[in-house]
Amino acid sequence: MALKLYDKLKHSIRYWLLKTLPTCQQTVETISQSMERSLSLEERIKLKLHLWICAWCQWYLEHLQIIRETARAKADEPPDSMSGGGLSNEARERIRRRLTNHS
Amino acid sequence: MNATQGEFPDESPDPDRWLDDHGDYLFKYAVFRLRDNTAAEDAVQETFLAALRAYKEFQGRASERTWLVGILKHKVVDHFRRAGREAPLGEESDEGPEHREFFERPDPWQGHWNNDYAPNEWHATPAELIERSDFWKVFNDCLSPLPERTASAFTLREVDGLNSEEICDILSIKVNNLWVMLHRARLHLRNCLELNWFRREE
Repeated sequence: MALKLYDKLKHSIRYWLLKTLPTCQQTVETISQSMERSLSLEERIKLKLHLWICAWCQWYLEHLQIIRETARAKADEPPDSMSGGGLSNEARERIRRRLTNHS
Repeated sequence: MNATQGEFPDESPDPDRWLDDHGDYLFKYAVFRLRDNTAAEDAVQETFLAALRAYKEFQGRASERTWLVGILKHKVVDHFRRAGREAPLGEESDEGPEHREFFERPDPWQGHWNNDYAPNEWHATPAELIERSDFWKVFNDCLSPLPERTASAFTLREVDGLNSEEICDILSIKVNNLWVMLHRARLHLRNCLELNWFRREE
């Protein structure tokens, strides 16, 4: 009985917060801003509360962090993301000719 | 060519060997950021030419590759700068897709995640992703549909870790534009990666 009441109360609080706090659409923008500047106290509180009740936005934040961490790790070790990796033979020869003419 | 080449390889530049030793690396570095083969090839060529001209200043002060990458970084930034000057950001200009559909709902929860686009758990860590070359193919394909400047802003920020001021200067934009661009790039890329990589992996 007490457990049921607790669940009901939790549900009501969650419902009320979702109605009162900024929407997910506004929150994802704040999440992105939080990676660029320090948020105001009000923004921080609203974001914390929203994340407390919204798994989707929690994941959104986590994913942006994964993307950043993964991308930064590739800054010094560029991936073979296009063109199979290296210079094409044509480009290589073209650059070789250009360099030979110059030295 | 200098007659002492071979005997004193450290004292005369050897562009042929540079090309063999560093060409592919420099190209990958450039194409990851510029997402355009021709532009990346030009940047590599410009780098070697600048290296030939500046060779005397180098003379073993750093590792050869570090030195060449240092020059290439500037060439990549030059490319972004040129692109920024050639197409100034107008008021109506396209900073990237807004993706309003992500937050459209038929119920009273308008503005919250639509179930079809809501984020889901990703079963992967950066350490695992870094090693997967097919991940980077998807990553690149996901960035490609974005407006060029938005994709460039994203790369300068998330790959190279430049600060807002530096990026705004390079791309000739205001900080508010930059934040909108980064937000839209992230919204788009996250969804695209989830659809084309993380869900497929399961």
